[in-house]
Amino acid sequence: MDALLAFLTVFTHPELLLLVGLGTFAGVYVGAIPGLSVTMAVSILISFTFSWDVLPAISLMIGIYMGGVYGGSRTAILLNIPGAPSAIATAMDGYPMAQRGEAGQAIGVTTVMSFFGGLIGIAVLALAAPAVSDFALSFQPRDYMLLAILGILLVGSLSTGSLVKGIFSGSLGLAIGAVGLDPLTFTERFTFGVPLLQGGISFIAVMIGMFGVSEALIQLQHVNSAAVRQKIDRIVPSWDTVKKHLPLSMQTSFIGVIIGALPGTGGDIAALMAYDHAKRVTKKPSRPFGKGAIEGLVAPETANNAAVGGAFIPMMTLGIPGDAVTAIMIGALFIHGLNPGPMLMVTQPDMFWVIVGALVTANAFMLLFGLTGIRLFTKIVELPRAVLIPLIMLLSIVGAYAVNNSVTDVYWMLGFGVFGYFMRHYGYPLGPVILGVILSRLLDDNWRRAIISDREDLGAFFHGILTSPLSLVLTVAVVLIFLSQTPLWRAAIGRLGQRRHRHAAG
Amino acid sequence: MKASILALAVAAAAATGAWADDAYPSKEIQGIIQWGAGGSTDTVMRAVTPHAAKALDGNIVMQNKTGGVGAIAMRYVQSQKADGYTLLMGAENPQMYKVLGLGTDDYSDMIPISVLARGVPIFVANNDAPYDNMAEFVEYAKANPGEVRVGSTGPGGLTSIVLAMLTSQADVEFTRVPFDGDGPALTALQGGALDVMPAVLGAAIEGVKAGRMKVIGLVDVEENPLLPGVEPITAALPGMSDYLPWGPFFGVFVKKGTPDPVVAELQAAYAEGAQNEDFRKLMADRGFTIMAIAGDEAMEFLDGYRSVSSWLVYDAGFAKKSPEEFGIARP
Amino acid sequence: MKADFRGDADHHDGTSDATPGGYEDSRRPGEAGFAALLAIGSGVLLWTAHGISGFEALSGPGSVPMAVTAAMLVSALAILARTIRLPRVAGETLRRDVLPGVVIVMALALAGFGLLLVPLGFVPAAFLFLVPAIRFLSGRGWGFSLAVGTGSLAAIWLIFRIVFTVLLPSGILPEAELVQALRGLFSGGEQ
Repeated sequence: MDALLAFLTVFTHPELLLLVGLGTFAGVYVGAIPGLSVTMAVSILISFTFSWDVLPAISLMIGIYMGGVYGGSRTAILLNIPGAPSAIATAMDGYPMAQRGEAGQAIGVTTVMSFFGGLIGIAVLALAAPAVSDFALSFQPRDYMLLAILGILLVGSLSTGSLVKGIFSGSLGLAIGAVGLDPLTFTERFTFGVPLLQGGISFIAVMIGMFGVSEALIQLQHVNSAAVRQKIDRIVPSWDTVKKHLPLSMQTSFIGVIIGALPGTGGDIAALMAYDHAKRVTKKPSRPFGKGAIEGLVAPETANNAAVGGAFIPMMTLGIPGDAVTAIMIGALFIHGLNPGPMLMVTQPDMFWVIVGALVTANAFMLLFGLTGIRLFTKIVELPRAVLIPLIMLLSIVGAYAVNNSVTDVYWMLGFGVFGYFMRHYGYPLGPVILGVILSRLLDDNWRRAIISDREDLGAFFHGILTSPLSLVLTVAVVLIFLSQTPLWRAAIGRLGQRRHRHAAG
Repeated sequence: MKASILALAVAAAAATGAWADDAYPSKEIQGIIQWGAGGSTDTVMRAVTPHAAKALDGNIVMQNKTGGVGAIAMRYVQSQKADGYTLLMGAENPQMYKVLGLGTDDYSDMIPISVLARGVPIFVANNDAPYDNMAEFVEYAKANPGEVRVGSTGPGGLTSIVLAMLTSQADVEFTRVPFDGDGPALTALQGGALDVMPAVLGAAIEGVKAGRMKVIGLVDVEENPLLPGVEPITAALPGMSDYLPWGPFFGVFVKKGTPDPVVAELQAAYAEGAQNEDFRKLMADRGFTIMAIAGDEAMEFLDGYRSVSSWLVYDAGFAKKSPEEFGIARP
Repeated sequence: MKADFRGDADHHDGTSDATPGGYEDSRRPGEAGFAALLAIGSGVLLWTAHGISGFEALSGPGSVPMAVTAAMLVSALAILARTIRLPRVAGETLRRDVLPGVVIVMALALAGFGLLLVPLGFVPAAFLFLVPAIRFLSGRGWGFSLAVGTGSLAAIWLIFRIVFTVLLPSGILPEAELVQALRGLFSGGEQ
């Protein structure tokens, strides 16, 4: 009963409802602008809401979080520039739809599916938080390492052209992630003795360069062609469309919750894994993937919003952040006099239910703001390119600077922008670079932790993998996905298919 | 001079409640936080600064500038004008930059505005570990060399120094698993990937209260109110008292050469901010001891920290340069 | 592999990873040079990675960098070997199809923006970039460019500097004083 009352707190207090709504609205725009990140917005809110009570402050932050994760898809669909790393996969099929004038439909599907994913995430948080957090804690360094390898194998499905070029891009990303002072031993890596390089290369700067500036440079070649007129009469997807994708969205939502709940992995990896999963299980996509497949929107968008609920699981049950945003929220709770940790659920169970309530509200507002005001957004794409392109470039510079208040990041961003421009022209995929940067630390740090824990003994290391059920399952998944991507396997399948064909004919 | 500017500032503040041309602060002040958003330095600074800003009647905008174990932020502040409009909000790490070869400056090259608070290190262990106090732990580690997996947060970090203290007193050997911060390491401890972790009290206290890990040692000379019944480490290892009390700290600094009146105003503002009731409660809950010291007192504390830590690190063999090179005296 | 290739039918500049640029069976102007550069770069990086900690331990800070740069080098060499064997695509030139004048001009303008960002400050540098860029790309008058450029710069500055308190390089502009004056104006009004 108390729980229910706490759950309904946000609905019964108009000012909280207003703040959640305001936050969600602002979040959609924060998320949509590359370089303005939810992490940034929430940490600024800490100073801003300092003198407030804890509930209004948290309500506003939750709104921004939910709206921001969703907002990244807007620019991904309309401009082919993901507003946040978790929207990289969304651009792959969203932008082709916008090129056909179907941006309205793409945004509609994205919104409804984000809402659905968000709900699943919150439901898991509300119903199974303790169990999921215990499961997340049981991940050992070697399991994180296996998860990173699993992520790296996504390169196979992200690089549609040449697999070798994809492998190059992915390795390049992993190397970029290693630049700077190694956080474990403080050894300088790839710094060439330059102090400026000690801080490493921000992966947001790489992303803004590769997707923002290089896209703007590519668009320069068509600067005078007229923009595609967008049809925005059918935004809300039909019930049939939703029903058809229900099984897929359930699966990708669960991928999102689990990846989100693991400390150290978040919505960005979840969205890419979900995209890969969709590609694997969808036999007949509405259009080929990469040409505007609805499935290519459903999967990443359900997963990254489900990851929000997931990220709250370790935060609420253990006081351990599930991602960068929840880390800041934990700080905010401290400043407001609460002690987030395993005791919070015991001493203040109401807080848990208020947060669940706020998340549900933010999710509903996201649906509302997502399905309205689309006309304004689509007007942006219809702006003359001669104005739009310089503005994108300007925003890219400000955004890269804002990540860590560093001019070095701006130079990196510009460098990667030009580099990415050539990569596009010559058929090198860009996604694997970002994937590599995201996964670099996860792979490197956990490999070293795992092998140090086993005192440099490879035998003990493999023994550990084979005797732990979780590691074993992850290893089997790695092996299967690896095999399914090698040409050998494909050739075998192909030959099998031919033989069957011949049998049928003969 | 000093008095007249102060008087002017007070007058301006009283008269208009806004700003005056010739008084400090006449514009926004930048606070550069050395560590990322959500970390403990970030939390402490964001908790105290609004109170200090109020006392100063100014505006302090905080920014996180991470990387290079905080050296990037320090280098940035040292490259700005010495006018009191750029503050460094940092933790203890810079005191080790010189011996670890991470940077050319440390806090002795800056002016302390306030050393706000100090943390107490403790040893926590996985609940299943077969030892409950320091004596048992040392005995177990001696009997099984290299078997205990201890979390570590990089050379010069809290864990490396506390372990250096311990190994200077007892001949023990561990497997040190590196983590980038005590948060992830404590998570790994709960998941069973680590056996023991030296951490600052505030980071572990909630997990301890909930029974998810156990305290096996308090690295201090006296008992702590948050951990009743846990005896200080000096009871089992009396030699440790040479180094203690010792602990990580948080402080606000400006570049050397900042005008005295400005320094005085900032010091006064942070001293007042640190007295705020909410801030004191927050720090007490997290197990931090409020210090709020400035001037010579702060310099003395900072030098003491640097001398103990630098020589420990040097004697343990992972310093790049000898503390003697920088004129750091042996404690 | 061939069946999988889904290049863009209209242009070959790679709209997204799912529709990669380039051609399956011929190389674009400059492609071989680019591949050679990547191979050389990978070699340098591998050498640097070896210098981090060598082969001292499996857990050394240089182990993973060495593995990934080795993968870079091997794949870059494979790409290079394949690329130089392909025939050049007919009818494309580097100047027209890969690096047209407008791209070079804008890339140089961006580089100039980046270099002037600190000494000049964000607002002046952005102004010097934005207005001529709009004028150059749109071919419309200075009035139009000035209005659109100044308006959008003001909006971006307000969002980042005031709302998100991102301290953009102030350079020659007394930005902090300006912000303080703005704030003083508002708070003065309220009190």
